[in-house]
Amino acid sequence: MASIVKMNVNGREQEHLIPDSLLLIEFLRDRLGLTGTKRGCDGGECGACTVLVNGKQRLGCVTLAKSVSGQSVETIESVETRGRLSRLQQAFHEKLGTQCGFCTPGMIMAAEGLLRDNPSPNEAEIKEALSGNLCRCTGYVKIIESVQAAIEPGGVSP
Amino acid sequence: MNPPIKNTVVGARVPLIDGVEKVRGVAKYTADLAPEGALVGRILRSPYSHAELIKVDTSKAEALPGVVAIVTGKDSPFPYGIVPIAQNEFPMAQEKVRYRGEPIAAVAAIDEATALAALDLIELTVKELPGYYNAKDSRAVDAVQLHDNKPGNIERDVHNSFGDVEAGFAEADLLGEDDFHCEEVTHAHMEPHAAVAEYDPQRDHLTFWSVTQVPYYVHLMLAQCMDLNKSRIRVIKPFVGGGFGARTETLNFELVCGILARAAKGRVRMVLSREETFLTHRGRPAADIHLKLGLAKDGRITAVKAEMAQYGGAYGGYGIVTILYAGALLNALYDIPAVQYDGYRVYTNTPPCGAMRGHGTVDMRHAFDTMLNRMARQLGLDPIEVRRRNLLEAPTETPNGLQITSYGLPQNLDWVEQASGWKKRKGNMPKGRGLGIGCSHFVSGAAKPVQWTGQPDAVVNLKLDFDAGITILTGAADIGQGSSTIVAQVVAEVMGLDFSRIRVISNDSAITPRDMGSYSSRVTYMVGNATLHAAQKLKARLIAAAATALETEPENIECLGETYRVIDSQDSGISFEKVVQTALIDHGAITERGTFTVPKAFQGGKHRGGAVGSTMGFSYAAQVVEVAVDTDTGEITVEKVWVSHDCGYAINPLSVEGQVQGAIWMGMGQAMMEATRFHEGLPLHANFLDYSFPTMMDSPDIKVHIVESMDPNGPFGAKEASEGGLAGFLPALAEAVAEAIGTEINDMPITPDKVIEALTKKRRADKKRKRAAS
Amino acid sequence: MDFDLLMPTSAAEAIALMQENPNARYLAGGTDLVPNLRRGIGAPDILIGLDGVEDLKGISEGGDYLTLGAGVTLAELEGSGLSGRYGALSAAVDIAGPALRQAATIGGNLCLDTRCIFYNQSKWWRNANQYCLKLDGDTCHVAPKGQRCHAAFSGDLAPALMVLGAEVRVVGPNADGWKPISDLYHEDGLAHLTLAPGDLLVAVRLPVVSRDLRSGYLKSRLRKAVDFPLAGVAVALRREGDAITDLRVGVTGTNPRPLLFDGLVGGMDQGPNDDALSAITKEIGQMIKPMRTTNLPGLYRRQMVTVLTRRLITDLYDAGDRKE
Repeated sequence: MASIVKMNVNGREQEHLIPDSLLLIEFLRDRLGLTGTKRGCDGGECGACTVLVNGKQRLGCVTLAKSVSGQSVETIESVETRGRLSRLQQAFHEKLGTQCGFCTPGMIMAAEGLLRDNPSPNEAEIKEALSGNLCRCTGYVKIIESVQAAIEPGGVSP
Repeated sequence: MNPPIKNTVVGARVPLIDGVEKVRGVAKYTADLAPEGALVGRILRSPYSHAELIKVDTSKAEALPGVVAIVTGKDSPFPYGIVPIAQNEFPMAQEKVRYRGEPIAAVAAIDEATALAALDLIELTVKELPGYYNAKDSRAVDAVQLHDNKPGNIERDVHNSFGDVEAGFAEADLLGEDDFHCEEVTHAHMEPHAAVAEYDPQRDHLTFWSVTQVPYYVHLMLAQCMDLNKSRIRVIKPFVGGGFGARTETLNFELVCGILARAAKGRVRMVLSREETFLTHRGRPAADIHLKLGLAKDGRITAVKAEMAQYGGAYGGYGIVTILYAGALLNALYDIPAVQYDGYRVYTNTPPCGAMRGHGTVDMRHAFDTMLNRMARQLGLDPIEVRRRNLLEAPTETPNGLQITSYGLPQNLDWVEQASGWKKRKGNMPKGRGLGIGCSHFVSGAAKPVQWTGQPDAVVNLKLDFDAGITILTGAADIGQGSSTIVAQVVAEVMGLDFSRIRVISNDSAITPRDMGSYSSRVTYMVGNATLHAAQKLKARLIAAAATALETEPENIECLGETYRVIDSQDSGISFEKVVQTALIDHGAITERGTFTVPKAFQGGKHRGGAVGSTMGFSYAAQVVEVAVDTDTGEITVEKVWVSHDCGYAINPLSVEGQVQGAIWMGMGQAMMEATRFHEGLPLHANFLDYSFPTMMDSPDIKVHIVESMDPNGPFGAKEASEGGLAGFLPALAEAVAEAIGTEINDMPITPDKVIEALTKKRRADKKRKRAAS
Repeated sequence: MDFDLLMPTSAAEAIALMQENPNARYLAGGTDLVPNLRRGIGAPDILIGLDGVEDLKGISEGGDYLTLGAGVTLAELEGSGLSGRYGALSAAVDIAGPALRQAATIGGNLCLDTRCIFYNQSKWWRNANQYCLKLDGDTCHVAPKGQRCHAAFSGDLAPALMVLGAEVRVVGPNADGWKPISDLYHEDGLAHLTLAPGDLLVAVRLPVVSRDLRSGYLKSRLRKAVDFPLAGVAVALRREGDAITDLRVGVTGTNPRPLLFDGLVGGMDQGPNDDALSAITKEIGQMIKPMRTTNLPGLYRRQMVTVLTRRLITDLYDAGDRKE
């Protein structure tokens, strides 16, 4: 069955007729063209598709799009404002928190979710909050440093 | 050593030039391309380990509405493979299937559901044969051969001996001998495999996008397996989500996608599942190692004898190279007078292995350095001191003909010893804690490419036109390691310009010059040198133009980047844009070409297979690993890693640190938890739960120190930075765990159950000894 | 995947929908069900989403009980701070990863499907292996000679709630009442839940504990995040003076159901000692059956149940010591 689903995605109201079984990640990537959200596994194992639903971390690959109808969804594409990178984005760029870049959108969204709840997390809290986001390039050291730089005054270029 | 160079852009901590796209989420990877109207391609994979393929009946599937094309082995009877003399794999199985997951047929359909339904309708008739999943079973006398021309299921056996090994053992004061086993591991790059193929039936042309590390090989293999002239193919590499060697060889799904697009006369998009990505594999083979090492009582290595059997999987792939690497790089780290190596690359009914970070060298390095650490203890010597007694001195040539031109291992040892507090702490750690050391090295690009053409190893074009921007055209594949950033830095440095005038276009065979691609850590060294060459030529040309404009001789001109002027003159000179305008007069757009070719002298020994392991510059790394072991649960926590890496010269220290950390961490995964596991050839690991690699919670701080030995031939003195450190982690961990628990574990990975097993054995042995004593 | 997703707003409506559609499945957070459906494990025509069911939500404390709605997410449970008093509820903190805990629910975790390396695989994989006893096949590859499914229950919350004396409220066409959590499970990997068709797990309640009941949860796994437990142990104990007067142990990850061991105080008049602990772990050891359902060996998981049980009992006993 298909249903009409309304959802606020990155600040815009969306209304689409979609199959009930459509995953949120498919809705974002295939219907809305928001390909920043990555598919890294066959379901729930890697965090590459982390987005925010009502401000909280969720995985697009185990979430049915219809199940979050009426809610607000934010993806990596929403993080910058008018061409200006967010502090997290700037930090991941400057501190090499990204290498191949494939885990990066999910990693930044997970960190974004963390910082909204806890604007000044310590290292243990950063690690815990990003523990479901796998990266195969960095060994995580520079990812942690990136999040730390984003929350330190002067940690990133203005 | 070369004199240190005073640089501005080169040597600076420069963020990746394509980093902004990545953090914005706008970087397009292959699966992000959505070509209008593309068909969905799906592969039928063998459910059998080993079988004669009698019939593949696609008639029912073809009748399914929405199915546009179906292809099978008949559509491409052309073998392919990375090593020209060992091509025995086909895009889709021919008369036999040899592993579970091997492609047999493929469907292009209007949507995924139809494609999957069509796969279910393809009927196979087979005669099953026995499957073999380890080297011992495959090599058994009565085993059925996987390949008719490979008796004993041996792809290649290697027997090399340099120096007098027996005399070395006779001279030794202590002989050590033991068996080691390392499980198979795999790359597990975050981006699942994907390809898009667009076939134009009018022009008989194929345009192809893929996740590859070596677009050039993909181009060649598409031509070969589609029997299509190379000039009718264009290969484009979008952003690539990691490779680590998996994507060096052309992979079966890439060829199947091309074949399918031609059959469908249109566009086919193929995005593999994570499970299929695991099945495509090409990882580091499982290895059985038997090692014998001789040490004099002062710690001098007198001889080594190593035997290795690799479980290579069902096809040749990189196998010959991998088994040769393992023996060749027993040399070139320490000064060893006599080395004997016997290697056996064995076929098994599992997905084919290939190149993985630290290609061929990692498991052997584990065995060697673990044995060295252990014997040092037995002799009452400090393992770091033992290494100091076996240092090489650059420049030198190893017994197997490898050239060593720069050698930062001594400085590496000094730093890790000091930073980790080794002298005070090693041997005095509290119960359940340990420190361990390991050293390793790797090539800065294989000196001799597997495909010999007589062409330069690297060609880079710099295009300069009316816009006064420099476009770097390179075939070097940036797969996240930052190669595009390195070439941009080199050009910026030489030209004295900032990045605003420079752009990099890489990897479109229609535009960029052929490159051998990103493997064996060759890009910074070879492409860096070619870029340097091109930039120097371009600069000379602009200086000549400036001389014309200023009516003087070129030798009187100095280049200040945005300004060119007469040397030491007080006048303001002329702008870069003006110089460019002058240079373009009567000529138009300039393309300056730089090349790099590894001289013959660096291409290894004269013996058979002697080219493998040869390079112009070896990188060196030493690391100390600190662990805490819970002796009740067997859980190991890596508390900290100190690693020192000699990369010759850090063109981008930020990037070098990132690469070294990634390599060390990947070694940690292999040492602590990673392993492929099979049930009768079916992967028990084909997802990110069962193929577990470390999460952030499992990952320690990794302190990186860079040693700059200034390689005489590397660009600005640079050499390898992203593979060399990996192998040393394994023996360093084994040694640290041995100190923490008081007993030895030889096999990798050291999972907690192995720790408990070892401790249980030790307790029993201790009890027995006590009983015997009383 | 091809199904209709119905989104009732009350438990009664959900149960009615299930009665109308007997082949439907309840969908809570989806973190277990959706990956399985994506692998072709089950193909229901209808999913009944519980996201919008208000009566499954909320945490309330009143009278003798703390009541947790089955729809409370693991993140909400974690954020409630309840693990301060109910130490074993710390089990919720380490389940999977943070993003999954935002979706995953208490009810979902209690009703988690059993897991096995021969079962949690794609359709292609299971077909190549001639399927298995749990789904579409007739052999258990873990123990091919037997006729039992050994897939292991791997939920973390069940043992924790068990030792805290929790009960579950199940509402269905023919049910509405509270029962001990243990009654929710069978020792059968094929059908480990006792829920009748249409039954919905609505809430969990646990007796408000007096300060002297100490509890905790520990698990063994290869990685410190993401992984399911290879084995998990919850312990609750009461200490009076030097004696342990009440001791319960819950175990997960080893059998098709979570196990509760109660009344284990024998020989602990003077607190934990080697003989008494050995007797306890021996009793547990006779009941647990870790088989080849995970990539690490069953023997290791068995050893870990012993190690974690001893560690928790000793630590909880001593922790009180320090407080006093």
